[in-house]
Amino acid sequence: MTTLAAFAAALVMLGAPGKVDVIKATDLDGKPVEIQTAGKITAVIFISTQCPISNDYNERMKALYNEFSPRGVQFVFLNANSTESSAEAAEHARKHGFPFRVLKDVNNVEADRFGAEFTPHVFVIGKNSEVIYRGAIDDSRPADKVTRRYLQDVLNAALAGKPLPVTETKAFGCTIKRVKKST
Amino acid sequence: MKLSLPILALLAAGLALAAGLQPLDEAGYQQLLASSKGKVLVVNFWATWCAPCRKEMPELVALAAKYRAKGLQFVTVAIDEESDAATAAEFVAKNKVPQPAYIKRFRNDEKFISMVDPRWSGGLPFTVVYDRTGRKVRVFPGEVNIRELEETLQKLL
Repeated sequence: MTTLAAFAAALVMLGAPGKVDVIKATDLDGKPVEIQTAGKITAVIFISTQCPISNDYNERMKALYNEFSPRGVQFVFLNANSTESSAEAAEHARKHGFPFRVLKDVNNVEADRFGAEFTPHVFVIGKNSEVIYRGAIDDSRPADKVTRRYLQDVLNAALAGKPLPVTETKAFGCTIKRVKKST
Repeated sequence: MKLSLPILALLAAGLALAAGLQPLDEAGYQQLLASSKGKVLVVNFWATWCAPCRKEMPELVALAAKYRAKGLQFVTVAIDEESDAATAAEFVAKNKVPQPAYIKRFRNDEKFISMVDPRWSGGLPFTVVYDRTGRKVRVFPGEVNIRELEETLQKLL
């Protein structure tokens, strides 16, 4: 295997999606939604209604949305769990007072494309539609122990056109419950 | 009597220890790998907040008992904060999870995840199989396929 081929294989293994021109999902009424990424900084966050880790980030996600959405960042909140219905996602969003729309990633198509594995798992897409950051929102489940705010720092840097402080991080989270697909 | 939060956390940690949950840091994990050479080692990372983790544990415990005499060492690491230590210890006791059973006290979660396996994003459950030489031979991201795990163990034991 050539070095290039080995690198490509490693990228596939890590789930690197390459260029993401459009994100396809459905709204919680079941209508198809397409979100273009060209020319915008887009934060894609895979979330869950039931995962305690994801729920621990509800307030932080709301704060990030309220801070960065007016500054031009496009947010896409996706629920890819096959075990969580659209109705459940809608009720969850209402209960927690989400100021943002949650979309359903039916059959975890986008989760597979992004290589999203847990909730909350974040992917930031740059203006050129390339994924520029993948990983965690910050470095601590308990909000009072956060020392590094990865997503906030990445978005600030991307908006300012500065080098990103980090491009990939890892964190503990709930595995996305995927549909079983025949191979 | 009114107890402060730090004292409650210490009490929770004490309860966890009393029930057999030992704190595990990065160095402790390396020591565990080193001391397990000669046995086939299965490490299961789980958490009280992880429903699939709780669901699969009885099957894993049964598999561990089935192959213990042949040289299988089954180790669990609870990815829980101190505030959930008592709940984790209770789960371990109730499900007769064998010792040693650990609870995470990593200095840096991210570095620990990469140390265990560079391909691991941190999603739970996550299970790793090491052979008798200490070589990592298989990882199971998400719920374990118990049949596949047993086939792997049968080849190694």
